[in-house]
Amino acid sequence: MGERESGGIWLPFPLSPFPPFSFLCIDMITLFQTIRSHRELVANLVSRELKSRYKSSALGLLWSLLTPLFMAVIYVFFLRLLARGVPLEQIVIGVFAWQFTVNSVNSGMSAITGNSNLVKKVFFPRVLLPVSVTLANLVNFLLSLIVQFVIIGIMLVMKGQFISGWVWAMPLLILYHTMFNLTLALLLSSANVYFRDTQHLVGVFLSAWFFLSPVMYDLGLLHTFAGPDSLIAGIYMLNPLSGIITGYRILTLPGMACPFNGWAAAGFIWPLVLFMISLKVFKHAQKNFADML
Amino acid sequence: MNHQPSTIGAAITARGLGKSYRVRGHAPPTLFGSVSSLVRRQPYETFWALRDVDFDVRKGQTVGVVGPNGSGKSSTLGLVAGTITPTVGEVRTEGRISSLLELGAGFHPDLSGRENVFLNGSILGIPREDIKKRFDHIVDFAGLHEFIDMPVKHYSSGMYVRLGFAVAVEMDPDILLIDEVLSVGDIAFQLKCLDRIRDFQRRGKTLLFVSHALQTVEEFCDEVYLVHGGRLVEKGEPSEVILQYIRRYMGEGGYLYTQEFGSREAEFVDVKLLNESGSDSGLFTAGGKMTVEIRYKAHKRLEKPVFGFSLKTGNGYYIYGTNTQIMNVPIDAIEGEGVMRLDLSPLKLLQGNFFLSLSMHSWDHATQYHRREDWYPFAVKNPTDAHGILEVDCTWEHLGGTANDR
Repeated sequence: MGERESGGIWLPFPLSPFPPFSFLCIDMITLFQTIRSHRELVANLVSRELKSRYKSSALGLLWSLLTPLFMAVIYVFFLRLLARGVPLEQIVIGVFAWQFTVNSVNSGMSAITGNSNLVKKVFFPRVLLPVSVTLANLVNFLLSLIVQFVIIGIMLVMKGQFISGWVWAMPLLILYHTMFNLTLALLLSSANVYFRDTQHLVGVFLSAWFFLSPVMYDLGLLHTFAGPDSLIAGIYMLNPLSGIITGYRILTLPGMACPFNGWAAAGFIWPLVLFMISLKVFKHAQKNFADML
Repeated sequence: MNHQPSTIGAAITARGLGKSYRVRGHAPPTLFGSVSSLVRRQPYETFWALRDVDFDVRKGQTVGVVGPNGSGKSSTLGLVAGTITPTVGEVRTEGRISSLLELGAGFHPDLSGRENVFLNGSILGIPREDIKKRFDHIVDFAGLHEFIDMPVKHYSSGMYVRLGFAVAVEMDPDILLIDEVLSVGDIAFQLKCLDRIRDFQRRGKTLLFVSHALQTVEEFCDEVYLVHGGRLVEKGEPSEVILQYIRRYMGEGGYLYTQEFGSREAEFVDVKLLNESGSDSGLFTAGGKMTVEIRYKAHKRLEKPVFGFSLKTGNGYYIYGTNTQIMNVPIDAIEGEGVMRLDLSPLKLLQGNFFLSLSMHSWDHATQYHRREDWYPFAVKNPTDAHGILEVDCTWEHLGGTANDR
C-alpha cells in the first residue's frame, strides 16, 4: 500500500519519440505494474467474484456454461423457424463470445458502486476492481471455451471436418477481446459512480448492440442485405465485436472466408486507443469515488 | 525531497489540508440531473468539510481527534488513509497504514470467515504467507474457532467486527487509524482491543484516534486535536483540550446531553468551580482543593430544601452522588439570594474529564426546584503515577515472607 501514485517509472528503453503515444502508454505500463505488485489481491478479488457468483447455486460454475448453451439452443430454434440457416457452430461461437462481453459490461458497471464501503474505507488501487471483475469473466470464458471446443469438435467430426489450423492464434484474440472488455468495464464502472442512469442506458444499448453484432448470424447473412464492399458493411465492421466474433469463427472453423478490409482494420485499432483513453478517464475519475458513493 | 525541520520524525504531516464538497441536495447523481444543471447553469454551493488544517504527528505518538458530530473528524482520517483526495493542500505519511475505519469493510457475506480473512488481509496489503502464519492467531483473537468456516452472513454483528479487528491489527502497521470502533463487541473483547492498542503504543507505533469516548481519548493520547466546523481549533495536552471541547461546544446551552428542568421556585444563578488558586478555569489537581460556590435565588420562601450533586465521567458513567438530606445537613428555609458551598477537597478524583450535576428539591422529593444535569464540566490532572479515575484509600504492609528467613 506504500505507493500512492507511481510517479517515476523506470523503463529499460525509450518509450517513444512520439509524445502523445508515450503519454497514452504510460498508464498502460502503470496498470501492468500495479497488477503485478498486487497479484495476491487481484487473485483474491477474482476468486471472490467467482465464488460469490456461484456460492449458493446448486450447479455452481456450471451455470457459466449452461447459460450460453441455453441461449444458443434458443437462437438456433427460432432461426430455424425463420428458415434462415446459420450453422449451429457459428451461433455457439457467437453466443459464447457475446456472453463474455455482456458479463464484463454488467459486472464491470457495478465494480465500484457495488464495493462502495471498500472504496470509501480502505486505500488500494481502485483500478484493480474493474480489472479483477474482467479477469473473473475471462476465467469463466476460458472454461466455457473448453465446452465450446468439445461441442464444436463433435459437430465437425460428424460432418467429417476438423477444427481450423489457425486455432493456435486464439490466445491473441482472447487477449484483445479481454482488453476491449476491460475498457468497457473501466469506462462504465466510473460512469456509474457519477451517473446512476448508466445502468439503464446500458441495458438499452446492449439489446441494440446484440442485433448489430454477428452473434446469431454471420457476415454472410449481412452481405445478403448489403454488399461486402458497401458503406453499410464497412460501418458494420467498425463495431469491434464484428471483428472479434468473426475472428473466433475463423480461428475455430475450417474453410472460413476472411472478410477483413480497411474498415475492419479501423475497427481493430480504435478500441486500442479507447483502452488507453479509458485508463486516463478512470485515473481522473477515481479521485472523487469516495465522495460520490 | 526537501524535509523541513518540523517534519523530521513525523509519521503524518498535513499542510494546508482542505476538502470541499459541492452541495447538491440529496438525490443521487443522475445523467439527467447533471445535464439539466449544466444547461440551467445552477450555481452550486461549496461546503468545506475541512479547511486549512496543519499538523504533524510524530512517530510513536498517539493523537486523539475530538469534536462534535459532523465537524470533520472522519474526513481527517479519510484524508490520511488516502481514501479521500484532498481538494487543497497535502498530507504525507511515512510507513504502512492500516485503518480501523470500518471493520470488515471488505468482507463478502457469502464467503466463509476463513476466505474473508485472506481476502481482507490482501486488501490491507498483508502477504498471503504472513496471513497463513498468523491465521490461528487471528482466529484466536477473534474467538471464532467453531465458526471460521461458516459464511460470514450468518455471523452476528459482534462476530463480524471481531474478525475485522483481528485482521486489521494483525497487519502490524506503522500507523494505525482508528475511527470510533472501540465501542463494538462485548466488554471482554473491548478490553482485548484496548490491550492491543497499548501494545501498539509500547512498540512505538503511531496512532490516530477518533472517538467520542472522551475518557478513553484522555487515557490513551499524548496529544488531542479539537476539530470544529472543519477547522483544527485547538491542539495540545489531552485533559485541557478535552475540557475546552466540553466547555465550548458541549457545556451550558451547547449540544451536549445536558438537561435543565424544575419548577424554578428556586434557581441556580451562578455556579463557580474553584481550584486551589481560586480560579474558575475548570482545571483541578488530584488530591488538591475543589470547592463549588453555588449562588441561588429563591423566588418565595421554601421550607427545608435539599441541595444535591452528582459526578459522572466524560464517558457518562455515574461515579458518585449525594445530597444534604443523606449527609444530614438540614437547611431550615431559603428565601431570596444565598450562597451554598460544596467542598470536595481533598479531591478524590484522579484523572480525566468529569461532569458535575446540581439539584435543589424539596425535603419529600415531591418538587424539583431546579436541576442541571451534566452542566458543569471540569478536568482533573494526575500528579501521581497511579492510574485510574478515582483515588482509593489503601495501605500496603509486608507481613513477612521467605526472603526474611535467609
